[in-house]
Amino acid sequence: MEEREQQVIDQIKDKVQEIDDVVIKEMVTDVGDATIIYFSSLIEKMTLQSMVFIPLANHVNQIFQVSEALELDDVDLILQKLDAGQTLLFFHKTAQLRVIDTYSAPTRSITNTETESTVIGPQDAFTESLETNISLVKRRIQNPMLKNETRTVGTETNIKISILYIDNIVNKENLDTLRERINQIQFPFFTDISELKQLIEDNPLSPFPQHYMSVRPDSVSQYLIDGRIVIFMDNSQAAIVCPTSFFEMFVSVEDYYNRWTTASLLRMLRFFGFFLTIMITPMYISALTFHPEVLPYELLLNLQESRSKVPFPPLIEVLFIELIIEVLREAGSRMPAKVGQTIGIVGGIVIGTAAVEAGLLSNILIVLVATSALLSFLPPIFLLSNTSRFIRYIFILSAGLFGLYGLMLAFAWLFAHLLRLNSLGTPYMSPVVPRNASDLFDSIIRFPTKYLKTKKGISRAQKK
Amino acid sequence: MSTGKSKKKLLNAYHVVFLAQSVMIGTGILSLPQQLSSLGYSQALMPLIFGVIASVTLYPMIWINSKFPNDNLFRINEILLGKWLGKCINLFFVIQFLVFIAGIISNYMHLIQSTALQEQTITGPVFCFLLLLIYIVSGGIKSIARFCIMTFFLTIGFLYFTHWAFEKGDMSHFLPLFNFFSVNDFYEALKRGYLSVLGYELVMFYFPYIVDQKKAFRHSLIGIWISILLCFITTAISVMYYSEWQLEYVEFSVLNLFKAGEFSFIERIDIFGITLWVFLILSTVAAYLWCAKKGVETLVSKKSNVYLYILVAIIFFVVKMPSSREFQDKLFTSANYVGYMLILWPVLLMMVYVLRKKKQVQV
Amino acid sequence: MSRKLLYVTLCIQLFVLAACTEKEIKVPLEDVGMVGIIAFDYIDKDSMKLTVAIPQYSPEAQRSTQTFSVTTELVSNGIVEIEKLSDKKIVFNQLRVVLFNEEFARQGNIRKVLQHLYRNAEVGNKVLIAIVKEKGEEMLKYNYPDKPNINFYLNDLLQPSINTAFNPNTNIHDFMYTISNPVFDPTIPFIDKNSDKIEIKGIAVFKGNQMIELITPNEALIIQAIQGKKNLAPLDINMEQGHGKEKLLIDLVENDVHIESNKNMHSPKLTIALTIKGTLSEYKGARENDLFTIESLADLEKDVNKELEQDIKKFLDKLNEWQVDPSGLSEYFRMYHRGKWTTEKKREIISKVAIDVQVKTSIISTGTLK
Repeated sequence: MEEREQQVIDQIKDKVQEIDDVVIKEMVTDVGDATIIYFSSLIEKMTLQSMVFIPLANHVNQIFQVSEALELDDVDLILQKLDAGQTLLFFHKTAQLRVIDTYSAPTRSITNTETESTVIGPQDAFTESLETNISLVKRRIQNPMLKNETRTVGTETNIKISILYIDNIVNKENLDTLRERINQIQFPFFTDISELKQLIEDNPLSPFPQHYMSVRPDSVSQYLIDGRIVIFMDNSQAAIVCPTSFFEMFVSVEDYYNRWTTASLLRMLRFFGFFLTIMITPMYISALTFHPEVLPYELLLNLQESRSKVPFPPLIEVLFIELIIEVLREAGSRMPAKVGQTIGIVGGIVIGTAAVEAGLLSNILIVLVATSALLSFLPPIFLLSNTSRFIRYIFILSAGLFGLYGLMLAFAWLFAHLLRLNSLGTPYMSPVVPRNASDLFDSIIRFPTKYLKTKKGISRAQKK
Repeated sequence: MSTGKSKKKLLNAYHVVFLAQSVMIGTGILSLPQQLSSLGYSQALMPLIFGVIASVTLYPMIWINSKFPNDNLFRINEILLGKWLGKCINLFFVIQFLVFIAGIISNYMHLIQSTALQEQTITGPVFCFLLLLIYIVSGGIKSIARFCIMTFFLTIGFLYFTHWAFEKGDMSHFLPLFNFFSVNDFYEALKRGYLSVLGYELVMFYFPYIVDQKKAFRHSLIGIWISILLCFITTAISVMYYSEWQLEYVEFSVLNLFKAGEFSFIERIDIFGITLWVFLILSTVAAYLWCAKKGVETLVSKKSNVYLYILVAIIFFVVKMPSSREFQDKLFTSANYVGYMLILWPVLLMMVYVLRKKKQVQV
Repeated sequence: MSRKLLYVTLCIQLFVLAACTEKEIKVPLEDVGMVGIIAFDYIDKDSMKLTVAIPQYSPEAQRSTQTFSVTTELVSNGIVEIEKLSDKKIVFNQLRVVLFNEEFARQGNIRKVLQHLYRNAEVGNKVLIAIVKEKGEEMLKYNYPDKPNINFYLNDLLQPSINTAFNPNTNIHDFMYTISNPVFDPTIPFIDKNSDKIEIKGIAVFKGNQMIELITPNEALIIQAIQGKKNLAPLDINMEQGHGKEKLLIDLVENDVHIESNKNMHSPKLTIALTIKGTLSEYKGARENDLFTIESLADLEKDVNKELEQDIKKFLDKLNEWQVDPSGLSEYFRMYHRGKWTTEKKREIISKVAIDVQVKTSIISTGTLK
């Protein structure tokens, strides 16, 4: 035994001393003594048996075939391997360090999604395991051109991420930009991929999500085929798709499974619903405070009557009820499911009717607020629904300030902002000026499926 | 080096078309029928004449720019007229732009004040408007161009709301064609009305950013004629709907055209019209402000966003100037007339260019 | 970086300013009295009585409408006076109807009052105008037993409907258009209180700014027909064309009109060709039992044509005698006249014009019953 090897082993042993789940075993094999080191929490007993102990006892050669040799110089690297769930084997006689990938941490099985559920179409969703997720995609795209690059991010935790793309379709410029952005990240640790997303987005300050996020393998595969780039992260369920456009936030993968007429109708509903949800209550404020002339006489008299007991100006009235709705929503999502239902009933019926009867709110406003709260859940991407919640307050305040003029200013701001956004260098609002004429076939109106073969302009796919 | 160059060329064909188009449509079109009222019913065809004039004057602009494909008018001034004279002229242009912008904003804000926001001061609205303006302009010419495209598609729907007036109007008002006799009336209408088609001259400033410079003339021309068509529709429907007295005394005839109709749930479309008009004002003013900022940058030969804030502060001051409305009006109209000078300016530059070329040949 | 700053300042601005405006006098909707009807009654050359009706929403109030009257010389002054009487802020942005009494229409200056409203940006252009026989004030203050709200009642009454197609539905824009256009004279519906009901009695014809005559609905319908209204009110025809006294009603009338002038200012001549299609819904007279064949219907059509031609001609001659032109016939001369057209030219043309009327009636069906 040489001294240096022994030193390294001692050093490793020293470093793992205070980790309780470390297992250090000495074994006698055909090729002399061996020391085995692994973390029991990351490796299942069965895997260990079949991959390490049985071969070690019976056919040591098999071990040499499946394991890889490791240089002894880099202690940090060795420790990293241990952390990743690999088993270290040190053969004393030959002073050889070998490592076998035995990572087999328990994962949950594939279940169906709750956040992006559809009626038609495959029901499986990604899980928190990187391997499972990649496998779910690879099953759908059986094409040797599908590449996945694995790298680690997080300066202190070493989380694995995987970049998936189809080599002969993806735009190389986009890919390089993305790689560079990921390389530049200096962030200690990630618990979910959405944190990574916020770091690599073009404008991290914007309230709008500039990359698509999904937990549905079918939707992700569809984007891959279109030439987008997909990022997975170990331990997080969702995948990032980029580049994407504002319009795609309103596209659900179910649109492609439905008949084209239904799909078009639903898309229109979602798209205009987004604008309605941020405009309804501000309209109420501006009509009541600044422009009563825009409303019909009869409706106005009704409004006068229902507001006659309300002590606040419309702006405060609206802010009040909007905040109550936010509270209800937040309370509902934090509570256990069974209690949550009760809260819905208490909030919706009791507070609503009681507030009207107590003369705190006008009943027309209750109708409007309830509608706009429902409308805000229409976008299939939950992040966009949250965005609309936030933006609505900007609209409410500007309407309270300058009525319809303020509303239009806010509207102009919204468009100016959306027009300035980029997603991985491509304009976020691309369908405004479609980059390809064929993009129009799959916009607010989804054309029959046979027209949807072409790639979207926004992915700037390679020409064949 | 090559990447730097490709980054400078930002504007594709759509951008050029709609920049020319949207910048032309500002507050002018709102009162166009009134500005042309000295011609009575014969004004209907006036916008078409404007279109011809605009097309003719566009040519020297593109010509002079194509001789200097990488420089805007401010630089060309300095090159052709010498550094000092050029700088003086440029300063003059920048000031003209600022007053012009202030004129548009003040005009619009007073309109807002008298229709949508009664009994309110305009300080707040102007302030918020300018904040938004900074936001749009700081995105650069491409962001302005995109905003112009958006504006066009958002506001074009308002054409539909003129159909009530069209149905109610009387086609016979068009006859007899060209029913005016004094050249003075025509000149008056030209002088006051041409203002509403100003805006295409800005092509001289964003020309260096155009990708396909050879086709810039054609694309700008398309934009100009879209606007001219809209102006024509406006004057034509106004002529059909109003009497000659109304044409003369109703200041914002377009708004009154919107007043002609109603829906069962929305009664006053003109309020929506005038507030949505803020998009058109923003697109016009943003382009002018961008040019003014470029001008300042050429003057001091340094690039910085600080100038933008300074310029906006000046505009705010001019709009809120503690002087009488009368003086402001005079200032703004004179700025408009100076605007006409800018249209003829490239002709002068053309001559200077040709003279210089000849001299060089002789030497 | 500057963008970040801009966001923050924008948000702060919005908050601060939104808070500030609350301090500005912004009257909330429930404290606003929205005038629905305004009535002007003539007192003498300088002063008038101004009455406004404001709907009342409070369920405790005995009446659903508040009315206020003041005597004033200027319109805006009168409104200030009314503000003093009212507990609410008076606004005009929901004004629906403007009433003038007959005396005002004949002697006062309607144009001045309406021009004041026309200029006011608060007031829409679709405010309807009507002339009241006696007093507008009385009409607004009267308690109509089966109509709870005079505001809606009058507005609905004056709205266009097929059975009152003779009504020109004059609104502010129409009035300003016709009075300022030298080829027109304005017409305004004329209403009167008839016990507990309000009725459209006819149409007031103006000569310039003054009302000169009241014409019947049937005559007013002719104006509408000549102006090219597509769907007309049921035509009620009494004729005597060789078959004794006959009475018939043509329903669902579609109208098409062609007018041609001889473009001659000195001996003006107009040809008016009306094409009328309709359903014969009722007939009373000698031919009652033989209207089943096409020939007999064609006969009837001919007689109707003759009768209508006579009626229209008679009516137009009357108008020409008065030198008024409510249907804008002089437009057909202005179109071909180079130079400025004036009101004097209109009067001249109208007094000289020779009118040739041709009516072509076709009865498409005789209703559902044979």
